Amino acid sequence: MNVSGAAAGTAFTELALQIGATLTRLRAAAEVTVGCSAKEPVWKCGKTTLYRYVPLTASRGSAPLLVCFALVNRPYVLDLQPDRSLLRRLLEAGLDVYLIDWGDPDDADRHTDLEQYIEQHLGGSVEHIRSQSGGAPLNLLGVCQGGVLSLCYTARHAQAVANLITLTTPIDFHTPENLLSKWVRGLDTALLERCGNVPGSLLNGLFLALMPLRLTQQKYVRLLTSQPDQRALEDFVRMEKWIFDSPPQNAAALAQFVRWFYQENCLVRDTLRIGGQRVSLRDIRAPVLNLYALEDHIVPASASMALGEHIGSRDYTGCAIPTGHIGMYVSRAAGAEVPARIISWLTQRS
Amino acid sequence: MQSPGNSTPFKPEEAYAAAAERFFELMKTFGMGSGKAGDWSALAGPLASQFERWLQMSQAAAPWLSAARGAPAGFSFGPPAAAPFGPLPLGPAAVPGTQMPHSFELLGRLAQLQGELAKHWSEIAATAAQRFIARAGAIPTVPTTPQQALKLYEQWVSCAEEAYAATVHKADFAHLQAELTNTTAALLAEQRQQAETMVRAFGLPTRDEVDALYRQLKELRQQLADLGGSAAVSQADRSAQRSSPPERAAKSAAAKPAAATKRPARGRAPRASKAKRGRGPRR
Repeated sequence: MNVSGAAAGTAFTELALQIGATLTRLRAAAEVTVGCSAKEPVWKCGKTTLYRYVPLTASRGSAPLLVCFALVNRPYVLDLQPDRSLLRRLLEAGLDVYLIDWGDPDDADRHTDLEQYIEQHLGGSVEHIRSQSGGAPLNLLGVCQGGVLSLCYTARHAQAVANLITLTTPIDFHTPENLLSKWVRGLDTALLERCGNVPGSLLNGLFLALMPLRLTQQKYVRLLTSQPDQRALEDFVRMEKWIFDSPPQNAAALAQFVRWFYQENCLVRDTLRIGGQRVSLRDIRAPVLNLYALEDHIVPASASMALGEHIGSRDYTGCAIPTGHIGMYVSRAAGAEVPARIISWLTQRS
Repeated sequence: MQSPGNSTPFKPEEAYAAAAERFFELMKTFGMGSGKAGDWSALAGPLASQFERWLQMSQAAAPWLSAARGAPAGFSFGPPAAAPFGPLPLGPAAVPGTQMPHSFELLGRLAQLQGELAKHWSEIAATAAQRFIARAGAIPTVPTTPQQALKLYEQWVSCAEEAYAATVHKADFAHLQAELTNTTAALLAEQRQQAETMVRAFGLPTRDEVDALYRQLKELRQQLADLGGSAAVSQADRSAQRSSPPERAAKSAAAKPAAATKRPARGRAPRASKAKRGRGPRR
């Protein structure tokens, strides 16, 4: 072995030691906790629970804010840890925050469809909150798939929503960058529905397959070779915990979501019918703030930014954030910008 | 019973360790462990086969297929082992011949589709390796510092992801992906059908029967909700009549036909007939 060969051997050993040490520390960080702000359940419907967050400061007196998260992931990513919590920033600003947790559907829920989710679960949550606040309309924040549900609800119940905020929400499912859409467009949704609920791990696999090397290899190698401090390690483990902690998906609701939105692109084609009734984005008249991520590999920016063209509201604000899908909820940069935008936008309209 | 998504649950430690292992495997390919320098063009083959193996192993782009790796539970390709005594024709033994030919047909189709998928993996891996070799020309073949090693690694990941993206966005890949999923789902449906036949033989409720019950329950709930709604409307009307000043009462009366049309006729009729049926025996 020559000199450069010896140097290569040394570098190899150095990397091996470094990675080994980080792996050991990662194992020790495995038991991190997630979710940091106090909340209490205030209403239930099936497996769905509506939570109200305990205020952190004096109320601003504005309408309550209901957060409607996606069915495919857990909402605690919005409140992962004190310094990475969108909800905490909103609470600190004096907002009265409610959150829908869809829970863990089981086989008894396999027929729960999108109409039930939108009308009974989301709608029931809205009505509960309004009944507590004199019937006034509330502010609705829909996240990702929850944004689609929120758009459908707002289109059907204009009087119930004062302001609508959508975060990383797909509207046009057929833009060229949307790989997920390309893959599921040929699925036989009736057949899939017959197969029953879909485990969360399957959807995770699908999301990871969008960029497999980056998402299942590179990010770990980067962490293992970066000599992270304990806090960075724990942050990382918390995120991993969330990413792989996905609830099962109801067969009926998932099949409808794939068919109506990914395959038929009903929102932008204005052909959506839920429970026999037409649902049109044109019927949304409330002010809308649409926040989307420029580097989003799950919901490409092009899929979100179309919203402004399709809603009936004249008060529309689109806002691009230079981060990825998950970065919208937890990255340090977005962690400052996203809540600040929401708070100032709501303040201008309250 | 398998379902299309019964993939292995995520185990973080294993994922971290596996990523590290593949990283070192790649570094060894670059000659880092041995210190033996090679030329880049000679690395194209090993790099491609390594990546292709990983793609096949992880079935990265086809998570829906995890359930379809190999034959589904309860299936075997060979003839059933001969039994010295046949079971009595009761319970499962009473089940008539299953739909094996169709299942085998689906399994055959699945194998064919997986063969097509393997061609894509091969294409992706070869393209990734070529890209990498073309870009790495200026970099020393054997990394002599951790920084150089990581730089090479990043370069490799970029090339591999680009090659992957170029293929998986294509219409034929998307079509194949959907076909694989649909075939897997059809196979699962077939398995369930066989299980249902078995379940019926035991006198247990089948999925179809449970689903039918669910539909009835949903319909009843809807009728109940409709009835609740119309009862509330009626009560509101009565209260309005009792407490309204004369002109409001007149308005209310004028509005009544409209309110009445809102009441769902299908919800009221069953209640009336049900109530009559229910009262009879009690009397």
